[in-house]
Amino acid sequence: MSNEVQERKARIKDMVVSALEVEPEEVTETAMFVDDLGMDSLGAIDLLAALETGFGVEIDQAELPRLVNIDAVYEVVAEVAGWPLTASA
Amino acid sequence: MNTTTLVRNPVITAWSAVSPFGIGRDAFADGLHAGRATKLALDKELWTGPDAEACLVPGFTAAGVLGKKGTRSMDRATGLAVATVGKMLDDQPRGREIATGDHAALVLGTTTGSAQSMMDFTRDSLTGEKPFFVDPSRFPNTVMNCAAGQCAIWHQLRGPNATVAGGRVAGLHALNYARRLLTSGRADTALCGAVEEYSAARSWLDRVGSGDDARVLGEGCAMVQLECGAEDPGRRALAEVRAVEFGVFTDDCGPALTACVRRALDRAGASAADVWAVSPSGTAGPGEEAALREVLGDLDAYRSPDLSLIGDTAGAASAMQITAVLAMAERDRGAAGRVALITAVDEGVVGCAVLGLA
Repeated sequence: MSNEVQERKARIKDMVVSALEVEPEEVTETAMFVDDLGMDSLGAIDLLAALETGFGVEIDQAELPRLVNIDAVYEVVAEVAGWPLTASA
Repeated sequence: MNTTTLVRNPVITAWSAVSPFGIGRDAFADGLHAGRATKLALDKELWTGPDAEACLVPGFTAAGVLGKKGTRSMDRATGLAVATVGKMLDDQPRGREIATGDHAALVLGTTTGSAQSMMDFTRDSLTGEKPFFVDPSRFPNTVMNCAAGQCAIWHQLRGPNATVAGGRVAGLHALNYARRLLTSGRADTALCGAVEEYSAARSWLDRVGSGDDARVLGEGCAMVQLECGAEDPGRRALAEVRAVEFGVFTDDCGPALTACVRRALDRAGASAADVWAVSPSGTAGPGEEAALREVLGDLDAYRSPDLSLIGDTAGAASAMQITAVLAMAERDRGAAGRVALITAVDEGVVGCAVLGLA
């Protein structure tokens, strides 16, 4: 994984920690937001808004169900931001 | 059947405050009794408004007092209110059993809610890259009833939930609203009080609105627990809400306040001779004292808490006055059986509560 990808995932992780009010160590790249981190619909909207403001992109609310873990979030943002997709995504 | 003989006046069975004296009722009572000044120089890194000094709740942050979970986007006013309700419930052996659940009401007085939250959210929308690049979790803070709603959510108060805006009179409006909820059978207990946060936004609004540079602003939340007749003989009523009256005026608050105080005493079945303590708003100028003197005579004959110690708490002021007379009464045997009079004055409105002290 390139440094750039890792850096972006780290930023996404910070946003998840803040939006879902969880501890950083709980948020692994594959931890499931709803099942593992207790995300509710308000948390999902918070995360969506943080991604939009943080990366300066617009994400369709229809994409909300896809925001299930860090890898998935990276993929959704990558599509609208024109980032390269990672091997794991 | 005369229903008025059946309806007993609600009684106050608990109180608490989060104030510049500190967190909880002991800190409030101790600070008040000691006459401890709370005015401090502001850290200008944190508080960017025009004030050099203010009376803040020492070291208060919502996350610091309530924990990290659920407080990320909680504003200061909400944090103060949620903390005060929590303190009051935890101070009593069976607080959560008595005053939470389906029949527990909450009535909270305020000036405008959090001016800071409203301004911040609006500013973000105007300065962000897109108008909708705002933090949605902060949106609830921009409505006036955020603090009351959060109190109910945190503490499971599933009865009526009301926010009453009324500036310095708000605490008395809240008391009256809570009293009516109980006497009409809408709730078994009602937690009522008022909250005001200190913020840069509020200090700017106050400075521009009042033109008074000398006034030191304070903040906090004061609450009482109101019940209709204590069923449990082990729990003591601290005071009976004998009357809450209001009046309006255009220029001079004096005549309206005189009439309001007379009406309140009359309704309470009390006279000047029964009065033990008087707590005026203290921010309405000489007209307020003159009006009180007209009804009560020499005001030096009565006890009076010095609330200038905690600054101008604005929307929380009359609730602070209520808890202050309760704090004084519980450390003075001379109070029992007498009444305390609380008056409040804000633009165009006067209010007066008469509490019968136990």
